Amino acid sequence: MSDEVVQIDKLQVRYGDTVAVQDVSLSIRRGEIFGILGPNGAGKTTTVECVAGLRSPSSGRIAVLGEVGLDRNRLREQVGIQLQSSGLPDKLHVAEAMELFASFYPNPRDPDELLTRLGLEEKRDSRFAKLSGGQRQRLSIALALIGQPQLAILDELTTGLDPAARRETWKVISDIRDQGVTVLLVTHFMEEAEYLCDRVAVFHRGRVIGLDSPGSLAAGAGQKLSFRPKTPLDPAELRGLAGVSNVSAPDGRIEVDGGGDLIASVMEALVSRGVVPLETRVEQSTLDDAFVRMTADEDAAAN
Amino acid sequence: MKTLLLTELRLFRREPGPAFWGMVFPVALLIVLGSTVGNKPDVSLGGVGFITVFTPVMTVFSLGLLSLSSLPSTLAGYRDKGYLRRLSTTPVGAWRMLAAQLIIVACLAAAVIVVITLVSHFAFGGDLAQNFGGWLLTIVLLMSAMLSFGLLIASLAPTGKIANVAGSMSFFVLMFFAGLWVPQAAMGSTLRTIAHYTPLGAGVPAIQNAAAGLWPGTNHLLVLVGYTIVLALLAGRFFRWE
Repeated sequence: MSDEVVQIDKLQVRYGDTVAVQDVSLSIRRGEIFGILGPNGAGKTTTVECVAGLRSPSSGRIAVLGEVGLDRNRLREQVGIQLQSSGLPDKLHVAEAMELFASFYPNPRDPDELLTRLGLEEKRDSRFAKLSGGQRQRLSIALALIGQPQLAILDELTTGLDPAARRETWKVISDIRDQGVTVLLVTHFMEEAEYLCDRVAVFHRGRVIGLDSPGSLAAGAGQKLSFRPKTPLDPAELRGLAGVSNVSAPDGRIEVDGGGDLIASVMEALVSRGVVPLETRVEQSTLDDAFVRMTADEDAAAN
Repeated sequence: MKTLLLTELRLFRREPGPAFWGMVFPVALLIVLGSTVGNKPDVSLGGVGFITVFTPVMTVFSLGLLSLSSLPSTLAGYRDKGYLRRLSTTPVGAWRMLAAQLIIVACLAAAVIVVITLVSHFAFGGDLAQNFGGWLLTIVLLMSAMLSFGLLIASLAPTGKIANVAGSMSFFVLMFFAGLWVPQAAMGSTLRTIAHYTPLGAGVPAIQNAAAGLWPGTNHLLVLVGYTIVLALLAGRFFRWE
């Protein structure tokens, strides 16, 4: 079986005059948690809806599980979906919902085992309407997984959850991946993408503007090294070193921005000049910084 | 599909409103009125007894209420919540939910119809579907017309609540023409003619005829066929899954 669970090639989706997805190409590998990250309206949900077969692309090609235009029935059996805002009947009990959805699939998981894993076993006999936001979200995940899918699509998984419930849900998603399920996660929380995803595609205005591991994306946005030199040092001496993009000297400190070899080259320069750095701080940029920079670059390029 | 049907049936049971008004109330009303008014021939009712006139009205009551009030509010509510969309991502698809709802309403209404007919006959001396073929044909056409009507309401109403209100209003209007408050025999001829062109208003005399052993009436049956075709086409045209 192919190692790529999803391959998207030049996807474009238009609604009337609006272009929701301009040009998206990416592929998702078996067994990874792949994140689609971006602000609202970036085309994230539209893209996953195309993958799930809920929407037809205007142009482009999508192959799921190695087949283009996978037969709708097979797609529904192999792909488990947790959609944004999809409810259940108010008076349906948790265990009944699990049993019902289990009956839809040829080879379902054990509903009780799944409920226990998601911490819902005590809510077995509660009505859907009585569940908290976090419990509904976990039930929704359970229903997405009940059919033993090869690919789980989770859209805005933790929106509206409190921090504790969010952490708990993240744990569940890592567990799923560890069981061999490929996960496609749509989110606009950087922290979530950083914590969970093996690789992230950054969406902006219907395009992919970055695709890498969260760590590499963040590193791309650079580092900041700052220190107080024990003996005076002309900041200009650090300009032009490998990896250094900017040097400034606010109130007795020296701040060096850059990436790549930044730290090594600055430290080497200091040692060779016999300058001892005090109060040294290295600030690693986060995915958030990277994201802000990437989208700003895009916007600047567009204008 | 079996689990889906059982689950939906369970959910129906948890809604006290439709379960009471659609299933218990028409039987109870027939028993109360049957015990107090009886079935003595009455000139003002066209020379037949009250039970003979009232049984067909109660026969369509449950079907009307379940199709117009319960069915559309359930379906529109499921659509509103995104449940139909959620189902469409599973191997069963949302179609089966639609089918399950239709089957449940048809079966529950059929059960009430059987009970009404038996109670009417054995307790109060009403006619027992003497032209059984004609009677059955009428019931089947009534079901197809009313279920199509309910689907059309579900198609047009944006939410479950609106579907419920629209369905209940349609129900009372149609039950008026069926003769719930004023028997058709007591209506003026213009009003009665209008009534005969409404689905339940056509169904009631057709049932009454068939119960008495006559042909239900080609006109009445054609009215029901016409409603079924038009309403089903409209519902098919406007139905949305999300």
